[in-house]
Amino acid sequence: MNTSVASVQHATNNPLIPKDMKPNQLIAIFLMEVSSLSQAQTSCATAEEAIEGINFGTQITGSDTPQPEHCLALTPELMFSWYYFVATDDVTMTVTTILPANAGLDTRISVFEGTCGDLLCIGSGDDSNGGYLSNAVFSATTGTTYYIVFDTYWGGAEVASPVEFEIYEGEPSGGGGGGGGGSDFPTLITFNPEPLTGSGSSECIVDMNNDQLDDVVFVNGNSITIRYQQADGSFTSQSYNVGNVSNAPSWSIAAGDLDNNGYNDLLYGGGGGASIIMANDNGTGYTHYSDNEYIFSQRTNMVDINNDGILDAFVCHDVDANVFYISDGNGGFTYNQGGLGENGGNYGSVWIDYDNDCDMDLFIAKCGSDNIDQLHRNDGNGNFTSVAPAAGINDGSETWSSAWADYDNDGDMDVVIGASSTWNGSHKFYINNGDGTFTNITEGSGIEDITTTGIENFPCDFNNDGFVDMVGLGSVIMINDGDMTFTPADCPFYSGPAGDLNHDGYMDFFEGGTIYYNTMEGNNWLIVSTVGTESNKNGIGARITVNSALGTQIRDVRSAQAFSPMQTLNAHFGLAQDTEIESIHVCWPSGIEDVIYNPSINTHLTIVEGSTVNVEENDMNELIVYPNPATDRIQFKGDRNVAGMNYRVIDSTGRLITQGRLAALELNIAELPAGLYTISIEIDGQWQSKTFSK
Amino acid sequence: MQLSKRYTLVGLLICIAIFLVTCKKDEEDEEPTPVPPSTGVVFDINQVPYNKLSDYRFFTGTMKNLSPNARVLPYEPITPLFSDYAHKSRFVWMPSGVSATYAGDDNLLNFPDGTVLIKNFYYDHVQPQDERRILETRLMIRKNGAWIFADYIWNEEQTEATFSLDGEYVSLTWIHDDGSEKSVNFRIPSDVECFTCHKSNGQNNPIGPKPQNLNKVYTYLEGAKNQLTKWQEVGYLTGELPFSIVSTVDWTDESQELELRVRSYLDANCSYCHREEGHCYYRPLRLEFNETGNPDQLGVCQTPQEFINNTLTHNIARGNINRSVMYFRMNTTDQQYRMPLMGRTIIHEEAVQMMNEYISSLSPACN
Repeated sequence: MNTSVASVQHATNNPLIPKDMKPNQLIAIFLMEVSSLSQAQTSCATAEEAIEGINFGTQITGSDTPQPEHCLALTPELMFSWYYFVATDDVTMTVTTILPANAGLDTRISVFEGTCGDLLCIGSGDDSNGGYLSNAVFSATTGTTYYIVFDTYWGGAEVASPVEFEIYEGEPSGGGGGGGGGSDFPTLITFNPEPLTGSGSSECIVDMNNDQLDDVVFVNGNSITIRYQQADGSFTSQSYNVGNVSNAPSWSIAAGDLDNNGYNDLLYGGGGGASIIMANDNGTGYTHYSDNEYIFSQRTNMVDINNDGILDAFVCHDVDANVFYISDGNGGFTYNQGGLGENGGNYGSVWIDYDNDCDMDLFIAKCGSDNIDQLHRNDGNGNFTSVAPAAGINDGSETWSSAWADYDNDGDMDVVIGASSTWNGSHKFYINNGDGTFTNITEGSGIEDITTTGIENFPCDFNNDGFVDMVGLGSVIMINDGDMTFTPADCPFYSGPAGDLNHDGYMDFFEGGTIYYNTMEGNNWLIVSTVGTESNKNGIGARITVNSALGTQIRDVRSAQAFSPMQTLNAHFGLAQDTEIESIHVCWPSGIEDVIYNPSINTHLTIVEGSTVNVEENDMNELIVYPNPATDRIQFKGDRNVAGMNYRVIDSTGRLITQGRLAALELNIAELPAGLYTISIEIDGQWQSKTFSK
Repeated sequence: MQLSKRYTLVGLLICIAIFLVTCKKDEEDEEPTPVPPSTGVVFDINQVPYNKLSDYRFFTGTMKNLSPNARVLPYEPITPLFSDYAHKSRFVWMPSGVSATYAGDDNLLNFPDGTVLIKNFYYDHVQPQDERRILETRLMIRKNGAWIFADYIWNEEQTEATFSLDGEYVSLTWIHDDGSEKSVNFRIPSDVECFTCHKSNGQNNPIGPKPQNLNKVYTYLEGAKNQLTKWQEVGYLTGELPFSIVSTVDWTDESQELELRVRSYLDANCSYCHREEGHCYYRPLRLEFNETGNPDQLGVCQTPQEFINNTLTHNIARGNINRSVMYFRMNTTDQQYRMPLMGRTIIHEEAVQMMNEYISSLSPACN
């Protein structure tokens, strides 16, 4: 045996080196050990000095775990190497392994101050700058000793041990180490990440205490923790035991007020069934409703399926017909299966109004053995008709969710269907033709250029420019250019729920314990909360139309969208540079319509169902509009002669159709298409309304 | 479609029950039911599935001893599916005069009508009595050229098992082989759950009985013998068999090559979904034994389509379990992440350890 073999023999005594390691690998390790000219630094007590500049690393072999706590997650049998550094200036220092010598390696860095056994983590780094190497930044004080620790979290020592590491003064070069989706797309929307902790995991942003501010709900087994948003932007915390609940929101969570008591309840979509968490009458306690029905839940939603003014709970079923629980409004539920999507492959249900008739239709993004998407048109009275083939939207891509919005502000809902796999085609973009049909306009829209895939797709006006953007397609923000094309932008998060977590009018996101505060600014906005009276309390299913100089924007009040999270129930409108809104029109699931003129902007507006109608009807109860339905003209009679007064006619989407001065006690409506209309007449300076149909 | 309250499954079962009763009455009226032989299995293909497991007489003597009746042949796949550490005993039965034929090492045997595959699920040392508890007996029956499911849930007295495809949970605690106490909320599957794993291009199909999985020695009461040879001897398998069969290995057999053990385990536990005819066909993984010789099918250095978090960069990241989705999914019980999606609620520690060894043994690191 020659000496090098003897050395190899020495190396194999090292428990780190796999027995079956090939000789050339062993020699590489042997050479590495020689080049370091030192023993491996196995403990805090035997840490080797590191200096400003380049240092050679050694193979990680130590078992001495930083005490009392490591900076980063620990796994069993993790090993460590230890260095110390004595600062010579009061400056920010960076330790980096992002060096050519470390190509292909996968490191973590932790930095401590204090003494062995009593260490305090002051900096750490992992996966910096979009790669597997690391930067750790810390604040140095002259004369203080800092411990720098590498560990084997990312595999064997041969992968995790840096060949070299560098200590230098200042922040890391080459971009900030935080967040970052790591995409090649430009950063067009900026976020400020801030931690928000709670017990368990959270995929739910919704107002839980009826102050119209979005809160964050965490779920952990039998308890929920609500972080309540305060007026000053801070969050208080309160935990509630919900009882021995049989399902977790493993696959999805939805929220809404299932018993109209004014406080939102939760719907958990679990792998073996669904559970409902009911709030008490002042939102200070929660109980649960569970049954033994087997459901392989996917997307869950709350919507008033039978239009009785009480929300119901809908659950997409992966391997069977979809399920829905009809609420009796008193905490009781009736289980139903069938009629709203049979078979399996039901992943991403979303309730939207695609045909502008003020009721919620159901679109199901489908995947797997029954992968053709479905559209169930709501015909009223609990009747639904499956119309996807006729509507031209029976898409076959393997999708888990879709993002519905009026992307061109032409008064109807279009859709981006995000593919989860490219097995049966990729992402699609369909425009609503306004006649109950859709046309695939993917080609040339920019959607077709996205090669990543994903399961979460969600519409959101990120920059408040009045054109709804979307996020998804594997974690890309698609900025709406306003002409049915999109520009892709980097997204620093993946699947989190959305809401306004600092009530600044810009939509924020939450993922993995971090709030991504949207830091865009400069555009105007409006946030609308709907409060139902005859309709369900949340006003879910209401169609809100905002008319301003930039055009007409529509929103459905929906619970919930994307695949798994629950987003705010508040409707968010970006207004770009518009400084006033002409009118807001709300068409409620009950059929009641409200119109509000010239509301304030850059604020949070709460609209109560019937609040504008009631006033008018009291004042105008002697005014009669007839005939109703009408064909060519409507006439007016009552104790006020309205001839000569100003009038406006608004259609069911809130668009102003015609206005002027009444020449007589009648109005010619021969030119109007069939539909439901509101006529408002200005009497003594107050606009008062009546509805009629043609 | 008018929405109405529909208890589809209950309705179906009532229909089946009425149908069975009606049929029996008709036959009694028209012609005397032939008296079955005093021994042997009772099987009328027009009447199955029966309401009680005992109706078939698959087992002789005290039923819970699972002592097979004549022509009820025990078998065992080389590497079994993990089902929360439940033990299983499997049997095959065919009517006389028919037999299965070979259709490829990696394909199911061509089974004749009347074939019954019988799989009993049980735990030993169930607390507090420290006894064996049989939970369910799953049947797949070949009927009119297709497979039907039947599941029989055992009573607590262990004297009878009754047909149900409704699914239910059974909570129990048992003393595991290693002496540790373990608990499970065992899931007896409903018909849609059966179908999720047992579907192939939308049709019900068995998973295990392929030559590649049966080609091993089994210790019968009469002595040890290769299972395929035994099947030929009893007439359950006829026609030509190839001289050699490419076969899976016993994943627990440490004398076997690690990669073969891993591929065998993945075939038994994952491939019924992760193949072109399975539930998860649209994902790029192809985990059948005959596919995983190709590292691309196995997911090595493959970017996952479904994002979990930034650290999980590949389905299998060579040398790095903490970046490997497959390891993560096997090593969690979180419903939305765990694999397999169904049939496992606790971690198969030994299999996770094997995956750790396997992934750690791979190099170089993925980029």
